[in-house]
Amino acid sequence: MEIPSSRRTIGGGIEENILAILDASEARDSQDAIDDSIAFLDAVRAASIVPESGRPPTNKMWEAVFQILRVGKSLELIMASFQLLNELDKRYPRVYSSNSNKSKSSSNAPPELVVVKEAWSPFFPGLGTSISEREAAGKNSGGPLDSSSFQLLIQDLAEVNRKANFQTLDTKSLGSMLLFQYLVNFLEGDILPRNSVHEETLNWTFLRESLLNMLLGSRKLNYKGLVRDCLAIMCGLSQIQSAFSNNKIYPENSVAKPPDNCDTAVAIALPEIGKKTCIAMQKLLILIMELDISKKKAEMQGYTTRADGVRTPLVEVILDELTYNSEILSPFLQVFNEPKWKLEIILQYFWKYTAKPSIRTRRSNGSSDDATFSGALKCFSSSTSTKGIIKKIGIEVIQLLLAHGFKAHLFLSTEQCPALGISDCKEDVSGNSLVEVCKNMISAFHSMRRVDEHMEVLSFGKEALFTAATILSTKS
Amino acid sequence: MDGALDFEYEDALLSSPVVTKKRKKVIGLDDLLSDFYKEKSKLVEKESKQAKAQKNYNSDEDVNTKEASLTEVIDQCQNQMKEISGDEDMSMWGMRVFGNQKVPPPLDFPELGSCALLQSFMQNELNSLLELTSERGDTFLEGLLANGWLLKLAFTCGHVEKSIAMWAFNLMLYSSKEELRTSAGDFWCTILSSEDELVQIDWLPSYSELKGALEIYGFQFNFSSKREPLLPGSNCGGPPQNIRAWIRFIAASCHVRDKQSIFSTSEAEELVEVIVCLFLDHQLHGLVLLLYECLQSLISYFTDKEWKTSCNEIGKSLACRVPRDLNCLRAVECISGITTRSKQLKSAVAYQFLLVCFHDKATDEEGILQLLISINVKDKSCDLFKMYIYLVLAENWLLVSQMLENKPVINEMWCLYLRNCSCQIASTDLRSFASKVRNKASYLLQGTVNK
Repeated sequence: MEIPSSRRTIGGGIEENILAILDASEARDSQDAIDDSIAFLDAVRAASIVPESGRPPTNKMWEAVFQILRVGKSLELIMASFQLLNELDKRYPRVYSSNSNKSKSSSNAPPELVVVKEAWSPFFPGLGTSISEREAAGKNSGGPLDSSSFQLLIQDLAEVNRKANFQTLDTKSLGSMLLFQYLVNFLEGDILPRNSVHEETLNWTFLRESLLNMLLGSRKLNYKGLVRDCLAIMCGLSQIQSAFSNNKIYPENSVAKPPDNCDTAVAIALPEIGKKTCIAMQKLLILIMELDISKKKAEMQGYTTRADGVRTPLVEVILDELTYNSEILSPFLQVFNEPKWKLEIILQYFWKYTAKPSIRTRRSNGSSDDATFSGALKCFSSSTSTKGIIKKIGIEVIQLLLAHGFKAHLFLSTEQCPALGISDCKEDVSGNSLVEVCKNMISAFHSMRRVDEHMEVLSFGKEALFTAATILSTKS
Repeated sequence: MDGALDFEYEDALLSSPVVTKKRKKVIGLDDLLSDFYKEKSKLVEKESKQAKAQKNYNSDEDVNTKEASLTEVIDQCQNQMKEISGDEDMSMWGMRVFGNQKVPPPLDFPELGSCALLQSFMQNELNSLLELTSERGDTFLEGLLANGWLLKLAFTCGHVEKSIAMWAFNLMLYSSKEELRTSAGDFWCTILSSEDELVQIDWLPSYSELKGALEIYGFQFNFSSKREPLLPGSNCGGPPQNIRAWIRFIAASCHVRDKQSIFSTSEAEELVEVIVCLFLDHQLHGLVLLLYECLQSLISYFTDKEWKTSCNEIGKSLACRVPRDLNCLRAVECISGITTRSKQLKSAVAYQFLLVCFHDKATDEEGILQLLISINVKDKSCDLFKMYIYLVLAENWLLVSQMLENKPVINEMWCLYLRNCSCQIASTDLRSFASKVRNKASYLLQGTVNK
């Protein structure tokens, strides 16, 4: 990744030429217009991405590419603009830390955060603090987004999901999903370098000025509603799987033909784009939870001011939602698969109900293990406490929590990509502990069976037990 | 009566496209609410209309015939419009690379019940809680696969036995259940892409199995020749959803070359062609990112020694396979990576297309440019559509390679050709593609001057 020291954009003459490809097509709305837009995207790519000595496009051009994604007339156009935008952000990041690409030897100096202020951003500067400005730019659908249009986008997606009718999804909804994915990528690209600089310097200002923090802090944003919608989208999208399983689209040994009006291209694209949207949603939630932790740290060290405002940590909002809207617990656990945070949420859910007083924050590296998964499993060692837990949580939910918790624990102990960062995870994930956890897992289920003889083991629970038993037999 | 009909028909034509076009981009809460109510009232209206129509049907046959003639007229007009727009279809790329699907192999797998994984568990005392039997073994394994346990087990135990590997492979390629094909794909791709040899797998598929799957999906390896007619009632809606897993599998299996190569060089060449052909099908638009990644993996699969010849082989074979219309431009442009190899491949493919376009009348670079320059665009009989194809092919051939910088003769000839196209076609030229050739050439010319 090469970042030109003077971030000069493409020269005026070329800009005019490239934009001219697009201008001609604005009035028309036909295949020609689509062709011209494609030609425009190709030209931007040819000027900025393909040559090694390429220069970033001007903001006007960047804006035009974004516009193509937002208006999304055809699947071809939205896919092409989505890809180009991501490539551009990767090649010409708006925020980066100054010594991220230098060798370690010269990195004794503290890393510096470089923010290219004049670079293009899909978000409105200040994220809609001034209404008049917002009306000027945000209303004509082409301009950058502010916090309320971000919320609208998510509401829109949630609405599509609630209908849960994937047969009626069209190019437009696919466009919204890709737009959302792009925005999450952009938010991530903004906050990751800030995070790494913040870790070294402990300067909260970097994170305070992150787009994500400003977005969430915006008064126009209904934070809890946003989270609720995000969860609804995640759980709804996971149902795509069942929607596309029932031989509806392409029956295998079929007699029935797919209806002609069912757009094959959209039908083939949907599971793929839906899955990626789900992953993007999970990424967004994790970014917020990480930000919460950094904020808490900064608060404890007194770096925050009153202007930072108060925001309920996301984990708590999610827990409330899972408690009061219990039917999404199972799909949520099914679809949220980042192990560290999944385990965190499961354990907090568990301790919320069980008697053990454990006021825990992530910073208190208490020696007690009751905050870990092993600790939770130990609660099932006596039949009285098992009985108590069953009474409070319910036998099915316990099974879900234990099985999913076990899976997350397993994930952490066979971590395929250590980059995910288990360093700050309190779980003991060494091999010894895994055998121990497998044993305790099995005995917890036995203990529940002793208390409740008619207990039906859920299929997911059975699978967890099978896995635990198989691991035990190979490890011992 | 005719007048009334005309009026109504015009109205319908005018109003319908406008409505679809004018969709709001920013949707407010209020809009959502009002839309909801509108939708609702429409439904009510529809129902009452239907009820009325039912009544009319019984009472007044005259209205009924009027309706029939009206629909007939509308149908006619629609057909006419289709024909008119059909003429423009020449200016669109797109191929149906998938024909009739064949019957997939059966998915039941009798050996599965006796696999060691299940058998060893059945002796476990824990089975009293699970009550697992060999007969229901495959359903249970499906659950293990779909929920990701099987993958975890593979990594914890470091081993995947043959029957499980084959079973998962078949599910990935042929299962009609989305969660099974996706999780089976994840299972395979994660194991193949794992960096160090954490998992020992007892069975790897061969190229013929992957190719066979593609044939079952209906992929036509020779679509330039006579196309088989689509059978009515067969699965002709395109490839099955399993194509996604297939593409991902190909990409992942390119990573294991150091350990054990699944494809030979010529098989990898053929796969590159297949992926390029998949780019030509409009039905797979939504998968372009997957296809892009897969193509990148395939390109990096070759060793440096193989690459140069393979590159030309791929170009030659594509040039014979893809028709020389806008499809060949798409074929060239879909090779869009920014690595040196992608650029080399793109240039090689474009070059081979040009050679085929001129029926091998030219044998080298200068020969081709000579032929291009000799075309007289002022000539009324000059096929400007072909000219456009040549122009874009030449652009892709020359601009992504270093040739223009290294060979001044080629550079000069290229500029001369561009000037021919941009200056000799008048802006008033009404022939189709005249303006396209002219604009393209002057845009490219400006680029070379600006350098």
